[in-house]
Amino acid sequence: MKRSIFIMICGVFLTVLASGLQAQQGQQGNADTIKEGAQQIKQGSAYSAAEDAGAIGNVAKSKGILAAQKSLIDVKQNTFLALWNNPLFAAQFEKFLNAPAETSENARTYRQRIERIMELLSPGNATKKNQDEAFNLLSKASEFESDANICNTIHDAVYTAANVRTETARLIQQNIDLERQRKIAEYNNLQSARARPLDQSSVGKNDAESYNKNQDIERDARMEPTKRELASLGQTIERNKMRIATAEVSAKFQLQALILQFFAQRRYQHAIIANRFYRAIFDDGDQSLQGFEEMADKLGYNKDAGQLKVEGKVDPKVAAGVGGNESQKAGGTSFTAEGVQLGLDNLSVESLMNAVSSGIKSASKTFKTLSQLDGVANEIIRDVNEGVKVYKYLLEQNELESAGTQLASLFAKGEYLPSVRLLTQDEKRKTLKYAQLCNKLVNSSNSGNMDAVVIVVAEMKKVNPGFDDAEIMANIQVIRTASSLHIAQARVAASRGDLQTVQAEITRAAAIWPNNPEIQSFSTDMTKVSEKASPQVQALSDFDQLDGQHNYRQIFDDKEKYIAALAMDDSNRKSERQEKLRKVLSRMQEIETSIMRSQEIARRGDYAGAWEGLDVTFSQYPDDQKLSQLRADLTIQAPDFVHDIRQAKSDEEKKEYGSSLAWYLRSQSRYPMSDLSKQGIQRIVQLIMPDAS
Amino acid sequence: MSRQKKPQGLPPWLIVLLVLLAVGGGYYGLRQNGGDASMRTIEALDPSIYYENANSLRGNTYKIDAEIDSALGNSPSKGRLFSVTLKNASKNGAPVVLPVLVPPTLAGLTIQKGQHYLMKVKVIEDGLLKVEEANKP
Repeated sequence: MKRSIFIMICGVFLTVLASGLQAQQGQQGNADTIKEGAQQIKQGSAYSAAEDAGAIGNVAKSKGILAAQKSLIDVKQNTFLALWNNPLFAAQFEKFLNAPAETSENARTYRQRIERIMELLSPGNATKKNQDEAFNLLSKASEFESDANICNTIHDAVYTAANVRTETARLIQQNIDLERQRKIAEYNNLQSARARPLDQSSVGKNDAESYNKNQDIERDARMEPTKRELASLGQTIERNKMRIATAEVSAKFQLQALILQFFAQRRYQHAIIANRFYRAIFDDGDQSLQGFEEMADKLGYNKDAGQLKVEGKVDPKVAAGVGGNESQKAGGTSFTAEGVQLGLDNLSVESLMNAVSSGIKSASKTFKTLSQLDGVANEIIRDVNEGVKVYKYLLEQNELESAGTQLASLFAKGEYLPSVRLLTQDEKRKTLKYAQLCNKLVNSSNSGNMDAVVIVVAEMKKVNPGFDDAEIMANIQVIRTASSLHIAQARVAASRGDLQTVQAEITRAAAIWPNNPEIQSFSTDMTKVSEKASPQVQALSDFDQLDGQHNYRQIFDDKEKYIAALAMDDSNRKSERQEKLRKVLSRMQEIETSIMRSQEIARRGDYAGAWEGLDVTFSQYPDDQKLSQLRADLTIQAPDFVHDIRQAKSDEEKKEYGSSLAWYLRSQSRYPMSDLSKQGIQRIVQLIMPDAS
Repeated sequence: MSRQKKPQGLPPWLIVLLVLLAVGGGYYGLRQNGGDASMRTIEALDPSIYYENANSLRGNTYKIDAEIDSALGNSPSKGRLFSVTLKNASKNGAPVVLPVLVPPTLAGLTIQKGQHYLMKVKVIEDGLLKVEEANKP
């Protein structure tokens, strides 16, 4: 009973601990599992609950660390670095940074034509003649590639709108004529309805009822043509009125949509040009976008597709100028009250449609009149021109972070404006290099390769000494420590033989820091341990080691083990090892034979002969301990003979042939059967008397 | 009565005999020691010193009393090389066998195994013993 209570308390404690860990890591806990744990406790399975709670805690901890790794350089939004989390924008911006300035003759001519059109249509200049000239210039401006045929689109839209105006005027005139005809028809109808006294005659009392009926029939017949004419005229007039209303609304709507589209595309100059044509065409003073707003409200939105997010830095001045709608901003719309944003997330056809829909809705709610839109477009152009000057100044001051942010903002706001297009490659070069490093940093971080992150950060500090790496380096240190802690836990588990925990801890350590050198060392240690567990692998390792130490005696003593191990060796060193083993066995066989022979001779009391036999073998294999020991033992048994031989050899080496010969003769006199003596004497005689017979 | 006085001293024949014996013994003595008369002043070789460091004896001349053991080699230019066993064994009783070189100048000397010679030897280069004179005792 007591044990059950104790286990239950432990379970509750671990559950609380797991919850605490989750809270500490700022993670959304696995509430269902925790609930299940609690249910288990209620059901009396406290031990299972405790185990589950421990596992939950570990998972939460691991997730927390992984989250920390992911946020390694998850710096605040609206910074230059944050832009590189968006590959699409990064690619576009990098392309822009590499693009040359548009200083060609064509580009200059195009800019001049656009400026001329804007000048011709500017308030005060927009006479009928200037409007016609501007209209004609649209086709010419559209010839240039950088225009992307937008001027042609404006040209066509203006032409269509102007035609609608003409048609509307014709319909109005037609209605005036029709009204006149209707009045005549009404008069005729009235006359037809009146009684004709001249045609009346007296009738009898009995015929009165019949007479009156005939009179009514006759009047109806008279009025029938005029009634039909009146109805026809009325229908035509109403139809014309509807056509007039529909055509104008349609023309206005189409042109308004085009203007808003240009604005959304950041083609501010084209938006202004189209807007000014609109004013010229529809000169009734109605600049309202109410109709457009009504249409936008009816646009659909696919909730399942999600929202295409466009993020980036915005200019607060623009935001203030335009005004905002917090609810729309909160909804994550791409075109918020703050104006233009950078980059795209969740890009798909559906999300793109959602973005367009949301953008049009936002635009329709943001701009109540076209005058507002015109003002904002002009303000953005001015702001971008000023931003270019600021960018150049920041670049001169080598403040790359601020300069980069400024340029990204300019690119996002006014990519197509002349001041941005005229930035030279040299003026963008430094930012490009810094941008590439930012991109590299983000990629390195996303891959979890902290070593690469450290290298990139060092490069960034070189390029931009003001780069604030404190947070990144602190995060890296946290991750490294966490990874090392997992390795330490794996080592502890390994010492307990808990392979499951070892695997789990190593997996976590590698997930956090794949290049952690401790993982490699741990792996090596584990390999050694596992090799020890395999006799065959151990035998091969021992063979290599003993061979390296020239301990052939040990190999010979355990030859059965090594022969078996080499037979099962499936490594690429098998043949090399087998050759070594063959040589070792051959050598040892020779040594053993020599030893056995000497021992046999020694048993007969011929110690000098036994020693001599061993000495010959010893000269070939001086590193065999057994041979050396036996030779030493026999040296004691025949000391004089051995002494004489050694002296003879020593003097021979010193080229004192007379003395050497004397020693050989002496050793031979002690042991007449000595081959060493005999050979020594022959050798010395040959040296003293080369021509001896 | 007076006795006849006997003659005193050695008889003459005995004296002559003694003189003859003395002369004969001296001759025999001279004949017996006549071979080593020229080596009488030469120092005998100490085998232990020779074995210890033959180089230190280089240039010295010694006499050895040796028995021919075996012929080791025969060179037309350098002469004949023999191993000889000294008559006087070393102090520890071990046999003393030495190599001696009989130069071509002593080519007339007949040397065979088992012959006994009194030799005058000189320690030459390489510590070899070169025979300068050899006589049978």
